[in-house]
Amino acid sequence: MIILGIESSTQQVGAAIGGHEGVLSAAHTSRGRRHAELLTPTIDFVRRSARIELHEISCVAVDLGPGLFTGLRVGIAAAKAMAHALRVPMIGVPSLDLLAFPVRHTSRLIVAAIDAKRGEVFYAFYRQVPGGVQRVSAHQLGSPDDLASELLATPDEVLMVGDGALRYHDAFDGLKRVELADQGFAHPSASSLVQLAHARALREQFVAAWELAPLYLRKPDAEINWTTRDEQGRAE
Amino acid sequence: MTAHPREATVVLGIETSCDETAAAVVSGAQTVLSSVVSSQIELHARFGGVVPEIASRAHVDLLTPVIAQALVEAGLPDGGVEAVAATVGPGLIGSLLVGVSAAKALALVWDVPFVGVNHLEAHLYAGFLEDPSLELPVVVLLVSGGHTLLIHMEDHGRYRLLGQTIDDAAGEAFDKVARYLGLGYPGGPAIDRVAMDGDPEAIRFPRAMQDESYDFSFSGLKTAVVNHVRRHPEVGTADVAASFQEAVVDVLVTKAQRAAQAVGAKGMVLGGGVAANSVLRERFLDACTADGMHAFVPSRAMCTDNAAMVAAAGWWRLRSDGPTPLDAGGDPNLRLPVVT
Ligand SMILES: [Zn+2]
Repeated sequence: MIILGIESSTQQVGAAIGGHEGVLSAAHTSRGRRHAELLTPTIDFVRRSARIELHEISCVAVDLGPGLFTGLRVGIAAAKAMAHALRVPMIGVPSLDLLAFPVRHTSRLIVAAIDAKRGEVFYAFYRQVPGGVQRVSAHQLGSPDDLASELLATPDEVLMVGDGALRYHDAFDGLKRVELADQGFAHPSASSLVQLAHARALREQFVAAWELAPLYLRKPDAEINWTTRDEQGRAE
Repeated sequence: MTAHPREATVVLGIETSCDETAAAVVSGAQTVLSSVVSSQIELHARFGGVVPEIASRAHVDLLTPVIAQALVEAGLPDGGVEAVAATVGPGLIGSLLVGVSAAKALALVWDVPFVGVNHLEAHLYAGFLEDPSLELPVVVLLVSGGHTLLIHMEDHGRYRLLGQTIDDAAGEAFDKVARYLGLGYPGGPAIDRVAMDGDPEAIRFPRAMQDESYDFSFSGLKTAVVNHVRRHPEVGTADVAASFQEAVVDVLVTKAQRAAQAVGAKGMVLGGGVAANSVLRERFLDACTADGMHAFVPSRAMCTDNAAMVAAAGWWRLRSDGPTPLDAGGDPNLRLPVVT
């Protein structure tokens, strides 16, 4: 089984190809917000490096977010189109899972945090389990201070990963028992995506291209304003 | 590298620049094998206009099923597409990138050329899709929610910009006046409907820019409508709508007709979403008949945003420029490539 993985939920764009033999090829580029420009050449590069023809791919895995909306959509639109054209199923994996997976060997509580812009972060908590990590909280959206208060309340040693942790490190620097992983763990890894997807593919946990939906965690502004107006209207 | 498309090269077109998610299969820039358009109008109606983030989200959800349907209807569920064309601009950037990304991915999987298409050029080609007898040069009046352009199309890919709006686009004026009159969104069809029961001569609204230039201006007309209704609250909405529509159509057709005569065009082409307006269509045809000029008024479905026109323009672009590199992105402010 050959899996193509695509991730583009932060300012990074990544693709990887792998299967039973592990990850055969992976590439990541962070070049500002140029997801649409970079993604197709990156996919072509990893499949050439891995010496794989695209029709050999049996599953397309994609990062579902949360993250930068435009980047996320570039990856998901491309992944859906490829899965449809190749007539293969898909597997979606949340971006925060992809951040936590590379640090799975720690026994500490893992906190994955992605910069959500507007002074907020998308975050979730993870624990080590045999073969990987398990999410032990919901996906959340909040200010770095909200997250810092949650960390203050936990008795655990904590390892933080992700560009959200690094960008707002001021909020976490003073916390005891909390360590920030370095820049090398700042973005979701396409290799992790292929590894996690492979495990799910063995259990046939596929979705069809038209069923796969992004994880936004934030409503469009217009809808937020509309709801607020609606509620105010009712209150008056 | 320049790929030379055959007369019958099969192009898949993808259009996601605004609030229509569309895919179509066209053979050789002329034969429409399928054209699927999924409109998001209902998603945006309560906001009174297109909300970019909502549009982008809907494109992601709708695009794969729309492409699948276009391929099935074209009788090509198992491949056979020889090039993939997608709108790269102008439009909403988040929406454009959904279509561009999907198109490039398909081109990669099928190992066929990708062609980036200018949305405005696509509208120009809608006229050719339905009438192969169209002979150049022509003058094109392109009127939509975002654009009001008068173009001299000398040859394929060779355009001269004769005039454009200096403020609101024609479609924008329809939306604003419809909102003011409480007729709802989108404004074009709403005014068209209501105006049928009104007298277009009831109110003589000003015709702006009645000078030598081919430029347009609609913001003054909108203000005139508002002022008139304030001063005459008893006036019937149908009469206001009909008189407003009359003023817009009058200016558009007069200038297009004058331009066509001046450049010695063989025909006049109408395009863009506002070209679905029934009075504009009628008056445009009348003007051509009066001047003995060939008129090209595409069906309403081909005037509003669709992907068949994108595929057709893609075929021509493939012929003139060859494939677009796979590291291309979108450009929200892309202009029509004009010669000066
Ligand atoms: Zn348009």
